[in-house]
Amino acid sequence: MNEVFDFFTINLASSSIRLATPIILAALAAALCNKAGVLNLAIEGEMLWGSFVAIVATFLIRNQTTLGQMHPILATYLGIIVAMIFGALMGWFFAWLHTRHHVDLVVLSIAINMLASETTVYLMRVLFKQSGTWSDASIVQLPPLSFSLLNRIPIVGQLLNGYNFIVYASWVLVVVLVIVFHKTKYGRYLKAVGENPNAARSVGISVNKVQHWALISSGAMACLGGAFLSVGHLTLFTRDMSSGRGWLGNAAALFGFNNPGGSFFAGLFFGIADAVALRLQNVTKIPPYIIQIMPYFLTIVILSVVSYKARMQKSRNALH
Amino acid sequence: MKNKQIGMKIVVSLSAIMLGILVSFLLIAPTGVSPYKAFGVLFSGAFGISGKVWPLWITLGQATPLILTGLAAMYGFRVGVFCIAQEGQYVFGALMAAWLGVQLQLPPWLLVPCIMIASIVIGGLYGLIPAILKVKLGVNEIISSIMLNNIATLALEYLVAFPLRADSGQKAQSAVLPQSIWLFQFVKGSRWGISFLLAILLVVITYVYIWKTPRGYELRMVGKAPLFARYGGVKSDHVILRTMFIGGGIAGLAGCLEVLGNYHRVMTGFSSGLGFDGLSVAMLGGSHPFGVLLVAILLAGIRQGAQLGLQISLKIPRELGGVLIALIIFFVAIENVYRPYVDKLYSKLVVVISKIGKENQKTREVQ
Amino acid sequence: MEKFIQFDDICKYYTSSNVQANNHVSFSINSGEVHAICGENGAGKSTLMNILFGMEQPDSGTIQVDGKPMLFKSPSDAIASGIGMVHQHFMVVNSFSVAQNILLGSELGKYGFVNHKREVDFVNSLSQKYHLPIDPNAIVENLSVGLLQRVEILKMLARNVKILILDEPTAVLTPQEVKEFLKTLRQLASDGTTILFISHKLQEVLDVSDRITVMRKGRVIGTTETAATSIPELANMMVGRDVILQVDKPKAKPMQAVLELRNLGFTNGSGVKKLENVSLTIKAGEIYGVAGVSGNGQDALVSCICGMIEPSQGKMIFEGKELKGSSVQQRRRQGIAHVPEDRITVGLNPFATVTENALMGYQNRKDFSHRGILNKKHCEAHAKTIIDSYSVAGASIGSPVGKLSGGNMQKIVLGRELATHPKLLIVNQPTRGLDVGSIEFVHKMIIKERDAGVAILLVSVELEEILALSDRVGVLFSGRLQGELESEAINEHTIGLLMVGGTCT
Repeated sequence: MNEVFDFFTINLASSSIRLATPIILAALAAALCNKAGVLNLAIEGEMLWGSFVAIVATFLIRNQTTLGQMHPILATYLGIIVAMIFGALMGWFFAWLHTRHHVDLVVLSIAINMLASETTVYLMRVLFKQSGTWSDASIVQLPPLSFSLLNRIPIVGQLLNGYNFIVYASWVLVVVLVIVFHKTKYGRYLKAVGENPNAARSVGISVNKVQHWALISSGAMACLGGAFLSVGHLTLFTRDMSSGRGWLGNAAALFGFNNPGGSFFAGLFFGIADAVALRLQNVTKIPPYIIQIMPYFLTIVILSVVSYKARMQKSRNALH
Repeated sequence: MKNKQIGMKIVVSLSAIMLGILVSFLLIAPTGVSPYKAFGVLFSGAFGISGKVWPLWITLGQATPLILTGLAAMYGFRVGVFCIAQEGQYVFGALMAAWLGVQLQLPPWLLVPCIMIASIVIGGLYGLIPAILKVKLGVNEIISSIMLNNIATLALEYLVAFPLRADSGQKAQSAVLPQSIWLFQFVKGSRWGISFLLAILLVVITYVYIWKTPRGYELRMVGKAPLFARYGGVKSDHVILRTMFIGGGIAGLAGCLEVLGNYHRVMTGFSSGLGFDGLSVAMLGGSHPFGVLLVAILLAGIRQGAQLGLQISLKIPRELGGVLIALIIFFVAIENVYRPYVDKLYSKLVVVISKIGKENQKTREVQ
Repeated sequence: MEKFIQFDDICKYYTSSNVQANNHVSFSINSGEVHAICGENGAGKSTLMNILFGMEQPDSGTIQVDGKPMLFKSPSDAIASGIGMVHQHFMVVNSFSVAQNILLGSELGKYGFVNHKREVDFVNSLSQKYHLPIDPNAIVENLSVGLLQRVEILKMLARNVKILILDEPTAVLTPQEVKEFLKTLRQLASDGTTILFISHKLQEVLDVSDRITVMRKGRVIGTTETAATSIPELANMMVGRDVILQVDKPKAKPMQAVLELRNLGFTNGSGVKKLENVSLTIKAGEIYGVAGVSGNGQDALVSCICGMIEPSQGKMIFEGKELKGSSVQQRRRQGIAHVPEDRITVGLNPFATVTENALMGYQNRKDFSHRGILNKKHCEAHAKTIIDSYSVAGASIGSPVGKLSGGNMQKIVLGRELATHPKLLIVNQPTRGLDVGSIEFVHKMIIKERDAGVAILLVSVELEEILALSDRVGVLFSGRLQGELESEAINEHTIGLLMVGGTCT
């Protein structure tokens, strides 16, 4: 009985982690942009593009290059890298439009999200003649990585072992971003630019440059999250594959006060909610929807509290 | 001077449409079909007047919810709130109709108006939530709208799967409404019916409300010059809340009309595809009710033409319609990039036309 | 003491507002001294300092620092050459600590990392060196305004500036903080920093400076040793008139009291008393002019009367009834009209037509709307009446207001406000930025209303305007009514003295 319970929990925990990973990556992307004072609402679209580009690039590398034909797993890794580069380019494009041409990022995001949704399906149908889901036998999913060190630790080790590269990469990114935010000059510039761009400018910090890098990095991370969806666990592309995870990422970032650590835990929490909901659906007759609503509802609550505090602060500081 | 401004606005919008079409041409290439042929088919699939059920009627029927959600989004934009919660309001309006239509035992002539009012109220209340959050707490309305949309669609999924579930079969859907309260369709199978007329009525009412009434005046001032409004004694908070209630109510009505006139029930995935269409219509329509009307019909036409024409006749995936719409929005979004070039061209064009005009006048004088 | 900074013939003209901000300004500042620059609004002091700090470029003239000609293209250049500036509006990041703010942009650490301990040590030694105690780890958003200012000063000192410019530094401080601040200045000067500060508060200037330069209307009037001058003499230099504005003004016939303020006070969110104990009465048929350098409580005064903010203390009595808690709209209906300081974004909607602008405040009236629909003819007639009565040139009821000239815009605002037949008319900087003809027109209008029995509250930083129009004058200084003058007692010397914190006894 104990073993069944343990198994249930471990399984639940590891599927939580897997479900949380794309959300965490989206949350990190959103947190980075929010901290820099740029509202990036295109993460959902970027993620979807990432899914598509990753699987198509993997497919092409796997079948069109000798390297890919000989090393299927390498093709997948390269596909992911292509997706990340695509994301970085998208981020750069946003930044350029924003600083050079004063384009409203909100309206642009809506356009990008819509474009992502429609164009990926259109291309899937035109290029691969599939209308719902596309997959190809030649594509190999990312292999699970096992660390012998972790195998020796009971329970916890089992929990942390056996995920694919992107999951571990997301953890590494969280740590890297925590360090960047709290221990580096760039982290300081980032926060200053987001909170008071005039103050930053007055000491010679280039607001544009900081925001550029934030958008580029967040594009890459969002696409990495998307790649996880299409080639990380299963190997297929479905229409609207991101299905709201990008928005959950935005919510998780706000939930975590735009800190990488907070975003990680918020994303994890959302992943657990997802996993529990799925498990409930399979095991009991309890409707999973209430649990699925929780993350959205709680985000509104947290947002309200944070905004209220900010407003109180602003009125205190107003010199009039 | 003012004419030039309006002229420029139209020219820039047209440029966005043309650029969108150009890029679509590129995307059609891999299918092997000639782009001109494709667009011809798109047009006839959208506005054609042939066949048993004219595509034109279907397009108008499809346009109805777009007109209404477009108006709903427009109210928000006009008052300075970028609220995109129309989908959630639509869903609750539809749920209200599907539920009351089955539960309430009233004569049809009484039941239908009651349902409409209930849908408007619930849509309005749902629309107040992001408004109150913004006005009282300063919460970003875009994020709260999206959260609320998701909550609404999940609530819908829950309700049709359990409490409202009509049959224990495969599909999760609510009971079918009694035929007595189905809204009349002008052309059977076209979805074009009384709801379309209601939508047009609301377009006119909106125009009158915003430009011809004191409350509409306050609305416009709060949106365009908030400091001026405050100085003049306008209670901005009240105006914003009132306006968002109206917008939400209209979106709720949109959902109600779709249930009463079209689907006659709600089912899983009811609102899918509506997404951000409402706000696209409002944006492209210049936040003006007549613009919303035109753009809604245009957008519905593109989607319809893609479905009926491109996909069925030419085997081009119907998503191309959505792609075209997204491209137009994209080019509208980045208009600052090509606006200077359009400005130059437009000015040159104006000079040429006026020169021709003067030449004509001279010849006439000589004669 | 050698000349450390030398201004030679600096000229700066702003085309947008047609103002010669600096007109052949020449004077010098000695090394290690505290040098005050005094003048009214528009004297050109801020412009000159912005030029010195590299935020603006002069049209002509040179600046020499330590014998070398210098012209800074940006604040970073100026700082690199040892000149720092503390602005009126602090540039701080609220969530950062004191140390993080001071070292923003110049963080200490290797390979891109930040060494927190080094930063704290650095700030501690910096604050010791300059005798400016501060806690490096305190979070800036919790600090008082006085300490915030200290952070800004330390920010400059951290970058090794030898010259520190301060623009109206005591404007936002409480009296206790002002004492601390003046002590700080003296300390910094004795440690070798050259201090340049702009102020119109002459008592403070006398307390702390070594020499004073007075500017008026873009020119330097003179530079004196502080020890050799007095407040009355300085006030005279600041406001002395060569040209007296003449306005044909029949004698006022004041009637009953319309507005009475009793001990009115307003304290803002940071604890600064913007208004303190202001008591005055305005009668129907008279023009009460509120004089003073801007930032001494005028905004708070007007906002309280109009209903935009609630006073912290005191009472306002309008036509016998207390004004309390009523909305802006209600007060307008009661008969308080307001021509605001900013006509473009507050007084008008520049994107809307003349008709729409004229409608503000009238839209809910019975004659303007019938059963919920606006009466188009009536609205347009109303707008047309304003255009005709006030000779608004180049405008029709359908023209967008933003395209009109400043004078015509102001006419529309005035016309709209006066059409309500108010009992009290508040005009705040009514002729700012207007051409001579429009100024004359506005002044004539104000006098006409006065003679028709309206009580007028004129708020203006232009001494000429106050002198020309007012029947009675009240001078605001640091939120208090520094003095009140009646008809014959009104002259520029007395008002000038009161404006800078002096007293007339």
